Amino acid sequence: MVFWTAGLQARIMNHERAWRLAVRKSLILMALCGSAAAQPITVRDAFDRSVTLPAPPRRIIPIFASNTEIVASLGLADRIVGIEAFTRHPREVLDRPLVGGRLGFSVDAVVALRPDLVVVTPSRQAANQLIDPMERIGVPLLVLLQRSVPEILANIRLIGRVVGVPERGEEVAARFEARLGAVKRRVEIAPTPSAIMITGRLGNGLMLVARDGTYTGDAMRLAGARSALPGTATIAQVSPEAILDADPDVLLWAGSARDLQDLIARPGWADMRAVKAGRVHAVSRVELLIPGPRSIDGIEHLAAIFHP
Amino acid sequence: MKVWIGLTAMLLLAILIAACAGHVWASPAGLLRAIAGDHALRSRLLFEWRLPRVVAAAFVGALLGLGGTIYQGVFRNPLAEPYLLGSAGGAALGATVALLVPLALPQSWLLPLLAFAGAWGATVLVIGISRVAGAVDAAGLLLAGVAVAAILGALRSFLMLALSDETVSLQVVLSWVLGGIQTPSWAGTGWLVLITLGCLALSLTLARRLDVLGLGEAMALAFGLDVRRFIMLAVLAGSVIVAAAVAFGGLVAFVGLASPHVARWLVGPLHRPLLPASALVGAIVVVLADAVARAALPPAEIPLGLVTAVAGGPFFILLLAQRLRS
Repeated sequence: MVFWTAGLQARIMNHERAWRLAVRKSLILMALCGSAAAQPITVRDAFDRSVTLPAPPRRIIPIFASNTEIVASLGLADRIVGIEAFTRHPREVLDRPLVGGRLGFSVDAVVALRPDLVVVTPSRQAANQLIDPMERIGVPLLVLLQRSVPEILANIRLIGRVVGVPERGEEVAARFEARLGAVKRRVEIAPTPSAIMITGRLGNGLMLVARDGTYTGDAMRLAGARSALPGTATIAQVSPEAILDADPDVLLWAGSARDLQDLIARPGWADMRAVKAGRVHAVSRVELLIPGPRSIDGIEHLAAIFHP
Repeated sequence: MKVWIGLTAMLLLAILIAACAGHVWASPAGLLRAIAGDHALRSRLLFEWRLPRVVAAAFVGALLGLGGTIYQGVFRNPLAEPYLLGSAGGAALGATVALLVPLALPQSWLLPLLAFAGAWGATVLVIGISRVAGAVDAAGLLLAGVAVAAILGALRSFLMLALSDETVSLQVVLSWVLGGIQTPSWAGTGWLVLITLGCLALSLTLARRLDVLGLGEAMALAFGLDVRRFIMLAVLAGSVIVAAAVAFGGLVAFVGLASPHVARWLVGPLHRPLLPASALVGAIVVVLADAVARAALPPAEIPLGLVTAVAGGPFFILLLAQRLRS
């Protein structure tokens, strides 16, 4: 129809250039129709929900730093229209409106941004506050879990498929797998040191440690260490005595070097094997406590610490 | 009559304001468009998410007003409140299980069911204990209530510590415990309306006997009221009402305590007018407080129980002081 009227116009004008213009216009139109008629994408998310997107999303709200970084790693930072308050990377999305923070997530703020995809991880109150309303008003919402490093890679592939760039997701994930493979070849020939990563200190003197069964624990294993506190799979809080007693080969502190000095200045800690051998390191929180693409950097850095 | 028209008008106004209030305010015209079935995302949000919540808030407030009035009537104590006999602790335990333990049922069903079961079960337990102890009177019930609440609170704290991790956040439990209207579907809202009307009818059947009990136990006995039996009956009825409120609204502080007082100043101490008046006052308070909770601190939501306590507390003290001076 458009082609025909444009052709008619051209005939009236009786000008060869107009014909060419008409042909180009119709080609663009056909291309646009092609993308608009794209197949709906249906995937299953981590909660085994079926998520259907009529077309590749253009306005994405990834809740939490990890999901934001995954979307950005696929080169789609410009499609991110909103973030939550504790997202600090990448810099180009930090000016986007906030849809939530420590005190919860705002359905109003999400809807005001007219998203066609919301990505959440069940942490803080995100899943509880967003899944139900988004389902009721018909905004596609994808739930992701990140309990291990392979799950992070699977999430990269899944988001690639959902946002309509499956080959890019595959490419990014494969590149990370290759880097993990290189780390594995390097660490598997050496003896495995035991390690503990302390991720926080509580007011009551207890310490939070990275556990088996989390991506941080998994990252330590992939970097060629074994947990010096096996069996801490359910409770993250341990007493300082338990850490002293476990006496790991390597002691890691996720935080600043100064806080690490405070930590090992505690009575008794100077006698730990790791402290005496100088195998005490401060490691990056963003690399090891955000389950996104930067976790791979974190694993390479850990491998360098475990196997110097 | 003037009082009733005034209260109803205030409730309708409160509902209108609350329906407009949010992180993004809606206009009354926008509301009408949404109700008329507009398909824009914003309209769908108003109709499917905000309006049912506002209506639910009104009915939760009404239930709390009813429950508070019954408890104050039974215990003949102006400080009695609906969570007195362990229902808060029981509801919180039930909700904690629903939120933290992975069970087969969907959470939208499990949460109200277990909260209801916990709230009601705890009160039944309290009554049972005071019966076994041979003291089904106000003092016996209160003591049993304190003990049961302590036990249930400890159980809940243990569950919260033991079952939470990165994905199952304590914040979810905490924000429920601090009160927050669950947003029911429209069908669920319909059930809530029916339940509330049923509770109103149930409480009105107690009205005359609550008046008689208000004269004192000896007087009530002289009027032919089986006081012990009636206290048990009224407490059971009150606990069902409170459990229903808790199932839809979490633990909303202060409304059940304050609404009967405000209503008493408006319509006097007789329970037949007092019960519906208290329900209306409770509804107005919760609708407005929920609006504040949703709108005040974008993009966050303040737990409703904190709003009712912080805003309602001083207001209540002021009214009380005025009342005492005059």
